[in-house]
Amino acid sequence: MAKSFSAPLERTARLLDLVPYINSHQGIALKDLAAVFDVSNAQMINDLTTLWMCGLPGYTPLELMELDFESGYVNISNAPTLSKPRSVTFDEGVSLVLGLELLRSSISSDRADLLEKVDSLAFRLSSIINLPSVFSVTTTVNQKIFGAIAEALASQSGLEIQYHSLYRDEITQRKIFPIEALDVDGVQYLSAYCYEVSDFRQFKIERIQSAGVIQIERRVTHSVTQSQGISSVIKVLKPSRELAERFNLTDATVGSEFGYDTFSQQWLERSVLAAGGAAALLSPPEIRASIAQMAQSMLDRYKAE
Amino acid sequence: MSRKIERLINLTIALLATKRYLTKSEIFRSVEGYEGSPETKERMFERDKDDLRSLGIEIEVGSYDPLFNDEAGYRIKQEKYQLDLGQITPTEISLLSLAAQAWQGASFDEAAQKALLKLNSIGVPSDSLTLPGASNKLSDGGRDFPLIAKAIADQQLLTFTYIDSQLFQNVRKIVPIGLSSRAGFWYLSGVDQEIQEIRTFRVDRIEGEIAASKGPRDFETPQNFDPKGVFEGGSPTSFASIDVRKGKGTSLRALATSTESLGEWDRLRVPIYNLHTLASMVLWHGNDVFVQQPQELREILIGQLDSLVKSHG
Repeated sequence: MAKSFSAPLERTARLLDLVPYINSHQGIALKDLAAVFDVSNAQMINDLTTLWMCGLPGYTPLELMELDFESGYVNISNAPTLSKPRSVTFDEGVSLVLGLELLRSSISSDRADLLEKVDSLAFRLSSIINLPSVFSVTTTVNQKIFGAIAEALASQSGLEIQYHSLYRDEITQRKIFPIEALDVDGVQYLSAYCYEVSDFRQFKIERIQSAGVIQIERRVTHSVTQSQGISSVIKVLKPSRELAERFNLTDATVGSEFGYDTFSQQWLERSVLAAGGAAALLSPPEIRASIAQMAQSMLDRYKAE
Repeated sequence: MSRKIERLINLTIALLATKRYLTKSEIFRSVEGYEGSPETKERMFERDKDDLRSLGIEIEVGSYDPLFNDEAGYRIKQEKYQLDLGQITPTEISLLSLAAQAWQGASFDEAAQKALLKLNSIGVPSDSLTLPGASNKLSDGGRDFPLIAKAIADQQLLTFTYIDSQLFQNVRKIVPIGLSSRAGFWYLSGVDQEIQEIRTFRVDRIEGEIAASKGPRDFETPQNFDPKGVFEGGSPTSFASIDVRKGKGTSLRALATSTESLGEWDRLRVPIYNLHTLASMVLWHGNDVFVQQPQELREILIGQLDSLVKSHG
């Protein structure tokens, strides 16, 4: 959440940052410069015109900055005082330090040179903003798997993966053609065409157990079988945060009932079982009976052994 | 509006260029844009100082000669104003760019992009470093991370409402000591002021706003706190002996410290951090998982299965 400033202050900050940027990108096209600073061309011309009037006390041509942008390309000279970029603010520093932490977790351990650089940069930034080193970011994804995915995406090849399906609690071998890696709220998915089911699927990357690049013919056929959706009604019996999070409930007061649609009967059964009596499935009746039967057979075993 | 901006830029330049403190009268005389009655100039200057400070520019107040009772003067130190990361290589610039890109789409992205702009103004080009795993993204879920980071740096007190496992809302007061992320969730660790012990909270389970206030004066950061250790859950209280059908229970197997084959089944040794979390995980696997030990876990399971049978009968 970056602080937002009033318009004149926002502009002052932009002008101060423009000088070192132009200084290190002499001859940059005006429209490119406008794009970098996320303003219109007209606003950029306005900014440059204002800067043109600034300089050291005295304000004769000797002291003023020299800006040339009439040709559509921007050059600056005589701006030694502002030529170096401003230091990072606290927010900016924190965003970079956290970003570096994430980066560290995604660098494989055989790149000790890069890990060392990441550490040193995080340290230097932390000392600029006076931040103790208290952040850690870990990813649960294996580097080898990321490497294989990146290679397959780059070379437009297929992948052979072992995937753990949580609903079915099975590890399956699949041939897939990766399309893109997505990030949804910090969880990585691989969007791919799966040859086993002849359809597009999204795989949670952390559940891919192994991955290897393969050459595969790029044929895409849609399967005709559509999985049947299930509409269920569930009643809350005990207050439970786990239940509220699993079913995305905003109201989980005891005695309340909610409807939930899913395509997987197994997911539904397992979720109700895992709630351990905090919820009861009211319908559909056959799934209700199946849960009762499963709980009974587990109970019998615990009582017997 | 342009005039005010010009004046702010000119003031910054003048205060940066000076080797000694500039007095107010020198500033009014030499920096363009200070006009009007002495009171008007005075007011302008006060506001300008505040504005520059709010942009993060430090203005130092001092006097030219401390031995004499001089008029106070002002300057901006180059070394404070400028970004100084020391010698920086193209690879390091690339790493910092990748770090900034991690926020794409999150509300922290704006700060990251501004930082990146400054890094790109150093004049060192980036190299074409590619990292396969660097497509990972960070999300702050709309939380005010700068507030949390500032509170950690300044040992402030954070007060917030936290939802416990029974959905009760509790007001917690902590002095934060660490922020960690794993698998898309953020975790805030701190010393809980009520029990004086380190506790870790999942940030998305915080209800409403987080308030920061002045921290306790005698606060001491606990020694040996390692933010990376948060997820190891400290040392497990004990171990469970759990039978898992072959080819099943992948998530339990991932937790196991050892596995012994028993034909159709495997016996796992699983560390226990929280009995109820483990019970829920066991139930998820239905008939493919059976707990041998400890008795305490078995009793929880029997009680829960019993109520499942009753509520579904």
